[in-house]
Order: sequence, then C-alpha cells, then structure tokens
Amino acid sequence: MVKPRRTSFCGSPEHDINRRRFLGGATALAGISGGLHALRHPVLADELKKQQKRVILLWLAGGASQLETWDPKPGRPTGGPFRSIQTSTAGLQISELMPKMASRLQDTAIIRSLNTRIGDHGGGSILMHLGRRDEPNLSYPDLGSVMARELGQADSTVPDYVTFYTATEGRGNAVGRPGFLGARYAPMFLTTSNKPEDIERIANLSEIDHKQRGDLRQLLSDRFTRGRETSRALDSHNVAYRRVRGLMASDTLFDVEQEPQKMRDRYGPTLFGQQCLIARRLAEAGTPFVKVSRAWWDSHGQNFETHLELVTELDHVMSTLLDDLKERGLLESTLVITMAEFGRTPKINGSLGRDHFANAWSASLSGCGVQGGSVYGKTDEDGQTVADGEIGAARMFATIYKALGIDPHKDYYVGARPVPLTDPGTTVVDELLA
Amino acid sequence: MMMSQVDPKTLKIEKEISRSDILLSVTSVGDSSRVFVGSSDARIYELDAMAEKPEPQAMEGHQSYVTGLVQTGELLISGSFDGSLIWWNVETREQVRSVKAHKKWIRQLAISPDGKLVASVADDMVCRIWKTANGRLVRELKGHAEKTPHHFPSMLYACSFSSDGELLATADKTGQTVVWTVKKGKQLAQIETPIMYTWDPKQRIHSIGGVRSVAFSADNSLLAVGGTGTINNIDHLEALSRVEIFDWESGEQTHEFAGDTYKGLVEQLVFHPENQWLLAAGGDHNGFIKFYDLNEKKIIKQDKAPMHIHDLVVNEAYDTIYAVGHGKLVVWKMQSEASEV
Repeated sequence: MVKPRRTSFCGSPEHDINRRRFLGGATALAGISGGLHALRHPVLADELKKQQKRVILLWLAGGASQLETWDPKPGRPTGGPFRSIQTSTAGLQISELMPKMASRLQDTAIIRSLNTRIGDHGGGSILMHLGRRDEPNLSYPDLGSVMARELGQADSTVPDYVTFYTATEGRGNAVGRPGFLGARYAPMFLTTSNKPEDIERIANLSEIDHKQRGDLRQLLSDRFTRGRETSRALDSHNVAYRRVRGLMASDTLFDVEQEPQKMRDRYGPTLFGQQCLIARRLAEAGTPFVKVSRAWWDSHGQNFETHLELVTELDHVMSTLLDDLKERGLLESTLVITMAEFGRTPKINGSLGRDHFANAWSASLSGCGVQGGSVYGKTDEDGQTVADGEIGAARMFATIYKALGIDPHKDYYVGARPVPLTDPGTTVVDELLA
Repeated sequence: MMMSQVDPKTLKIEKEISRSDILLSVTSVGDSSRVFVGSSDARIYELDAMAEKPEPQAMEGHQSYVTGLVQTGELLISGSFDGSLIWWNVETREQVRSVKAHKKWIRQLAISPDGKLVASVADDMVCRIWKTANGRLVRELKGHAEKTPHHFPSMLYACSFSSDGELLATADKTGQTVVWTVKKGKQLAQIETPIMYTWDPKQRIHSIGGVRSVAFSADNSLLAVGGTGTINNIDHLEALSRVEIFDWESGEQTHEFAGDTYKGLVEQLVFHPENQWLLAAGGDHNGFIKFYDLNEKKIIKQDKAPMHIHDLVVNEAYDTIYAVGHGKLVVWKMQSEASEV
C-alpha cells in the first residue's frame, strides 16, 4: 500500500499556508460544483494559476536528433547541413530549424549532456518514463503517474494524467503506468481520437435524467449515512461518482472547436498542434500531467528531410504553446518538457540518416521553476561524447521534481518498504533551476 | 558521323576513390577525367579521377553542402544548401562571383545544352534561371506549392533542360513535375506521380520521398521522373526504386519501371542521346546503377553500387560514368563498338 503523503510544495512556510488555504477552498468548491466550474470563480481561478503546478511533456517518440535541435555542430563532419542561429540568450545557439524557439529562449533551459546509455527504443523509453531502470519485482510508476499523485487534487473532476499517442509506431514503448501507485493514477490514453471515448452520456439518457439519477443516488447515500459513523467505503464511492461525473463534463476540454479560430490557427493545422492546444486546455483546467507524443522521429534514412519537417513543426507548436501559457499566466506554474528515449548518432550513415544514440543527447525544460535562457552540459566538438556535466535519467527526473516543488528524495511505501522517488544518491541539477 | 554503340552489359567499375566526406555533386571538364565534386564539408574539390594517386584541390566559398555543379567553357557554377550560387574560373579555381540565389536549400542545378543558362531549384519552391556569362537572373518559375497537402514544408528537388534548350522540367516532393518554356516561363504541362510521395498518416505521421530526378529524352518527346514507390517503412527508405516515363505533351505514361531488385531513391536519370537506354542511379543505405531498354521496356543491366549515388556525369562518348555519393567517387566504364550512324 502506498502511504498517503502529499508534499508537493517547495517547503517555504508561506507556500505551505497558501497551499492549505487553497486546497481547502478548492476542495470545498469542488464538492459543490466540480473542479471545472471552479475556473469560473475568478478568485479561485487565480489561486489555481498561482498554486497548481502542471507538466506538459512533449514526447519526441523515436528519438529526435540533438544536432538538428538543441545541440548543433555546424561545420563539423557530423554537423549535417543545418546552420546554427543565435538565440535570445547571448552566446547560445541552436539549430536554424528552430527560429521561433531561438527568439524565446528566456523561459527555456537546455540540457546537452544526457548520457542514458540505452540505445534501443523499448529500454530507452522505459528509462525516460520512469527515470530509472525497471525492476522485475517492483513496478515503478512513470513520470505522469507520479505527477498525477503529487500534483493532482484528491477529488479532482478533471483527469489527472492524459497522454496522446496517435501514431502506431512505438506506441507500445510509450510507457504509461501507475505501477505501485495504483490504477487511480493511470493515464487516460488517447490513441485513435483526440477525444476520450466512452465518457459521453449515452444517447438515450437525457442530461436531466442523468442528473436526476445522480441526485437520487446522492439522496440515498445521504440517508444511509445519516446517524451512522462515517463510512470510508461510501465516501470513496461518492468521490468516484463525482469524479466520473466530472470526467464526463471534461469532455469539452478535448474539443478544440471550443477555442476561437484565431487560437486554433496559432497552433496550426497539424495533429501535434491540435493536441498541444488540447494540452493547454487541460492544463488550464487543472490537469496536472499531459503527455503529447509526437511520433515518429526514427530517421535512419533521410534524417535531414525528416527533421526539416518535424523540427519545423516542433518549433512552431512549442513556441506557440509557451506563448499561450505565458499570456494566460500559466507558464510560471507549468513545466514544459521535451525529451525522447534517446538522441541520434552524430555519424551520418549512407542513407543520409542518423541512428540511435544515447551517449550524448539533449532535452529541454521550459517554464515552472526553470532557469530560463540557460544551457547545462556540453558535448565534444563532434557531439560524440559528453564533455562536461554528464547526467542520466535519474538526475533529470530529480531536477524535474524539484522544479515542481516535489522533494525528489521523498519515500513512497509499498507495504512497509520505503521506495524513494529517485534512486538513492541522485542529486538535482541546481544550475537548471531558478 | 561516328557514334559509339555502348553496351551497358559490359559495365564495370574502373576506379573507386574513398573519402571521409559525402559527395553530393559532380561535373567533368570536357571529355577528360578531370572532375569537380561538391562535398558535405562545404568545399568543392578538383581532381583527376583516373590518376593513380588523385590529389584533390579544395575550393572554399560555400557555407554548407555543395549540391549542384555545372561547367561551361572556363566557368564552373556551384550551388549549395547555403542558398548561394558561386561562379568559379575552372583554370584558376578562383571565385568569379557569388549570388544569393535562394532563401532556402538549393537542391540541384541544370545547365542548358548551349551552356548559356543555368537553372537552380530550391526549397523556396522557386526555379530561377540565370545567365552563365554574367550571373544575371533571367526568369523565375513559380508554381510548385510551398506546403505539402499535410501542411509541412515541401521541397523542390530536381530540374532538367530539354536537349534543344527550349524546355525546363522541375519536380517536387509531392510528386508534381512541371514542364515550362524557358523563354516565357509558361507552364506547358504538369505530370503527377503521387506514388513517389509517401505520407504515412498512421504509423509515423510524416512524409518522405518525392521526385528526385527528371530528364528529357533526346528528341524531347519523353520525360522521365525518378523516385521510389510507396515507402513501407519511412525510417529506412524501404521501397523499390521507381522510374516513370511520360509523353509529357499528352500526359500519357509510356513506361513504368518498378518492382525490381534495388531499393531507394532514383537520384539521377540520363537518357542516351539515341534513346538506346535510360540510366538511373541512387540508393538507400546501399547504392544502385541500372540501365533500362526503352524499346523492350526491360532492364538491360543493374548493379549494386559501392555507395548511395547522389550525382553522376556521363562523358561525351557515353561510355564513362563519374558518380559520387556517400564517401566515394566511382568511375564506371562500358565497352563500346564504333559504328557509323
């Protein structure tokens, strides 16, 4: 069993007090009208924005090339044909394929020194979802489930963990598992549609009938509990019903048609753009973790053609997402991550492709808790090895946790066994944090 | 007039020069074995391909991959992913002029048969025609869509003049080939080979392919376009090479060469001046070179190449091929029999 402790705050007394006040208020209101409706309350909506941390993970499935994104090596034999361009941070250059991100790097930290060693899709994906190697005797939760556990509200009526993976290639590697945290923290996994299936009210049941049935159920529950001691089972039952009702109401969050055309145009017409717009809608409504998987980057052949297409899209959609979050006052409480299972080989193969490469690759962190405009780590002049600041998945995850105010060294309990959130001895990369 | 009857069945590698870079373009000087090659290191190298120990001479000026080289008289003209065209003196290897020709990657150059015009195609989806003598822009040919049907940037890969210099064909990623008049820049025909553009909407959600090569037959009645068939695994260019030939005026497809042994893109196409054969070359991780009999509509000869071939040039007698690609320059020779024609 998991010992129920929620310590998702940075530790400052002021934050703690505000958080308690907020949680109390939010819980009370949620009990009345549901978390979605809480957004209509201006004071609470502001509190949500200030206090609630969220994560949007842009999962670049198949392995994006660090040389065509965050760590270009122009002029080197491994560099490929793309040039580097100056960013908004003095002395920091990224690939010319990312001009929009280059002009907005003030909220983004780049990690150029990941050495995760696992160069196969399956193993690399597990590592970069769990932040540690898998164990046969213990099922660890993935990043999304941990975030659902740490950042989600106990009686939230919006989904805690939503993951999009529409492409079929590599979908099986896109680990979304609550592990020992339990099914409560499992993802809502969207594959064939941008909208969740089977949460719509059945067609022959009217909204009024549906509500009246819920009211009747609540009346009977209240009558049953009257004069009795509090029943944990019934409480749980009631929470579950409220949650289902809330999830059904959250159906509209997945509908980009609810957004003005101008906003949809900003994100662009591609599937990835639409899904990132939905991710913003979910984050704004209080969903703590959304993963948008953009597959498939596995460019063994024609790497430069593939990256011309996919990085151009990433640059546009990611920069739009960051702008949108910032304009809504959400970026300081939302961490946007780009990562994959690995990067790609510096060596260009005979088909103008790049192969799997986990020894020296890049990721990015933007927004919440991040030292914007920074770069951590360095690769050698050809990008073959990490020359400075080598980190693995564990330190990256520890840094993500701390950026969100989560103690990376906290323990969960599986039975009596303490299971630390990150492997013992893992340190945070403080240089990446504000 | 004596014209050699070259037999592709006698094709064999005469010389193979290994290099550490990727060679993307090649042109030869007259009928000699003196060649210029364009490199991934942004340099051009001049070398005698048949010398026992070739000593490449580097020419610096570009900032990225050198993807196009043409030569006329004393001039060499190069095009690059840096978007510029550079004119060079062939003898001194010095720059004559540099022109910022395109905003995006230059994919290929073609020179008119009389050597007076050079065409450049680039990912800005414009073909520009320049005077070789002075670098003056003569004409812009606009008509290829900037975006693919799936909202991603398109690419303008290939161009070729007709043998009389009156026509120019340009070809893009989505499988569109356009025939233009050189004098007026008027579109005369549009040929579609949609199978050469693979959009994978389900497994990988991106695209690959395109028409990578285009060539007119000697009498200009036929237009050949090269690429691949539908790519099953777009990670690996996993598709059989493909050539389609059209009577471009009627739009009727006259030949289809698909489903043979070798996989990958057809990067280059060359018609024999008497339509004896059509040469196609390219590759995936590996390379291929093959000859099609246009009358019999069958393959005369096909061989595995030592590398993915990006470019080639055939000598005046059509019995020697200088091909460049990944880490290699290869010279193929064919035996010929002189005959009166």
